[in-house]
Amino acid sequence: MKLQTKLTLFNAISKLVIVTLFILLLPNIIENINKSYTDSRLVKQKDKLLQYVRDKGINYYMEDGQSYGSYLPLKEEYISLAEVEPNYYLDTIKYEKRLVERDTIDYRILSHTFKVDKSNYLLEIGKSSETIGETTGPLQNIAFQILLGMILLTILADQIFSSYILRPLSTIIRTKLIGNKFPKFTVYKEVKTTTSDFQHLDISIHKMVETIETKFQKEREFISNASHELMTPISILQSKIENMFEQDDIADELKVRLLEMQKILNRLKSITKTLLLISQIENEQFLKEDTITVKELVEDVYEEISIRLQDRNISLALLVIDDVTLVNVNKFLLFNLLFNLINNAIKYNRPNGEITVTGQWVKDYYTISITDTGIGIPEEELPYIFNRFKKLKQSLSQDSFGLGLPIVMSIATFHKIGIIVNSEKGTGSTFTLTFPIKLTGNAPAK
Amino acid sequence: MNVLIIEDEKALAHELELFLVKNNYICEICYNGIAASEKIAINLYDFILLDLGLPDYEGLDLLKEAKKANPEAACIILTARAEVNDRVKGLDLGADDYLAKPFSLLELQSRMQAIIRRKFGVIQNVIELEGFFVNLTDRTITHHDTPVAAITKKEFDLIAYMLLHKNRTLTRAQLSEHIWGSLINDDYDSNFIDAHIKNIRKKLSAFAPADWLETVRGLGYRIKTNV
Repeated sequence: MKLQTKLTLFNAISKLVIVTLFILLLPNIIENINKSYTDSRLVKQKDKLLQYVRDKGINYYMEDGQSYGSYLPLKEEYISLAEVEPNYYLDTIKYEKRLVERDTIDYRILSHTFKVDKSNYLLEIGKSSETIGETTGPLQNIAFQILLGMILLTILADQIFSSYILRPLSTIIRTKLIGNKFPKFTVYKEVKTTTSDFQHLDISIHKMVETIETKFQKEREFISNASHELMTPISILQSKIENMFEQDDIADELKVRLLEMQKILNRLKSITKTLLLISQIENEQFLKEDTITVKELVEDVYEEISIRLQDRNISLALLVIDDVTLVNVNKFLLFNLLFNLINNAIKYNRPNGEITVTGQWVKDYYTISITDTGIGIPEEELPYIFNRFKKLKQSLSQDSFGLGLPIVMSIATFHKIGIIVNSEKGTGSTFTLTFPIKLTGNAPAK
Repeated sequence: MNVLIIEDEKALAHELELFLVKNNYICEICYNGIAASEKIAINLYDFILLDLGLPDYEGLDLLKEAKKANPEAACIILTARAEVNDRVKGLDLGADDYLAKPFSLLELQSRMQAIIRRKFGVIQNVIELEGFFVNLTDRTITHHDTPVAAITKKEFDLIAYMLLHKNRTLTRAQLSEHIWGSLINDDYDSNFIDAHIKNIRKKLSAFAPADWLETVRGLGYRIKTNV
């Protein structure tokens, strides 16, 4: 999951949790607020009424001298005054029921006793609990909506801000880590950011890439120089052996030994030439300017390789039907790519085995697969088959120095051709080449 | 024919000389570019074998000088620096051929023969071998007047190469280097030469026994002819 997504998700979830908690607590809070508000109103009303009584006398209310009562038409509030025992004392606010005109109603009632002219009076001011609670619902709704809106706003703000602040990071990932193919020397391009962590990351990554690239470069230079330097001594030895071979006074027995030397020298030569070729490919010294049809290419390879097929009595089926032209390729290299793959298919086949070369469009991409009925590659060795000088157990019996597939890989990489290997031990292997659209053009419309 | 060998590796220069003298060429050797430059300016050569990687001289400059002072000479570039561009540049500057080190002396000789054939036209182009006629120009083989149609390109290459070095035993290594030299692969010791020779014999013997194509036991093959 991306960092930004994680941050946004965390923000959203934490805010939702807090808000939900708040909304759940809201009825209690509102009720408490309502209660204390109501109570303070009741007290104010009491004080006002007592003021009236002081100003105008108790008889202003108590016309009959015994009691007074008044309520609003819907009975949501009432006031009553009554004379009580001289010793009776009450000063409370609480919930109680009252029977008003046959209706029993819940009230919040303030009860207060006070004395006027030696008489003791009880004042009750009531407010129906229904009216107290009726604001709770709407309040809750409004609070919920406002909060929800605020959450959405803050999430949006978070999103925008985090995407802004994390942009350098995604730039670093996009330009420096993904698709940055080794080995390729790139110029350092600073990623603009004011966040020092990202600056640090950017510079560190660049330094690492640089180090790795330098190492690659050095390795390539070394291989190239070493193989070049070996060419001259090999050349001298080869000429010497050839000249000795020509001499008339050399016995046949000696000639056979010279021949063996020549063979070994050839082996050295092959290895050196192959290493040189790989380093030349990796240093991009080959041009990609040729145009060739797949049919031509495959037939050229077939012509070259038919003697080997014949030698081991292996049949080769060429199933290349579409007319596909490869452009911007190197003919020599592609020839060697296919040659080595088919040559391997011969070498690691069983006697009287079969090889199938299939060219076909798979969706938008042209592919060539080479399938053999050979010994196959065990799964645990598959990751290593493209390593230089790696000799697999089963290939030890073959004349090979372990550079066939590395050549294949470097040529494929040079042309950006994908290679997939499927293999089952004892049944055979399939090497599938997937050509980039740039080399083949688009797939024909069906 | 006069050959100038420009090669800073003395051992290699001597082997080249030894081989060419044995094959009736007259050789001169220069171990550095300055000496070579002088020799080129004074003498006329038929062949100039030029090592591009001289320590004291830019090889391609020497090639330019050679083409100017010795326009008739055929230049063959010999180099260990088998850079792809060098080859193109060398051939652009008028080199007649290009051999990457290490090369076989026989290969060098066959390239020189090809140039002689092309430039001077002194080599026979149709060679008779007991009733078979090998035409090096058309690359065909006929038995009297009947073409031996089934001979493949590779098989013809082998016959032509052996014919060029007739009466000389060619090892399998030398033959494979000639016909598979540019191929980069993973094999050593693989010998498909035998299979090719077997095929050639089979195809030829449909017309007449090709006894001139000899197997030299333990060593290789040769074409024996008095022509």
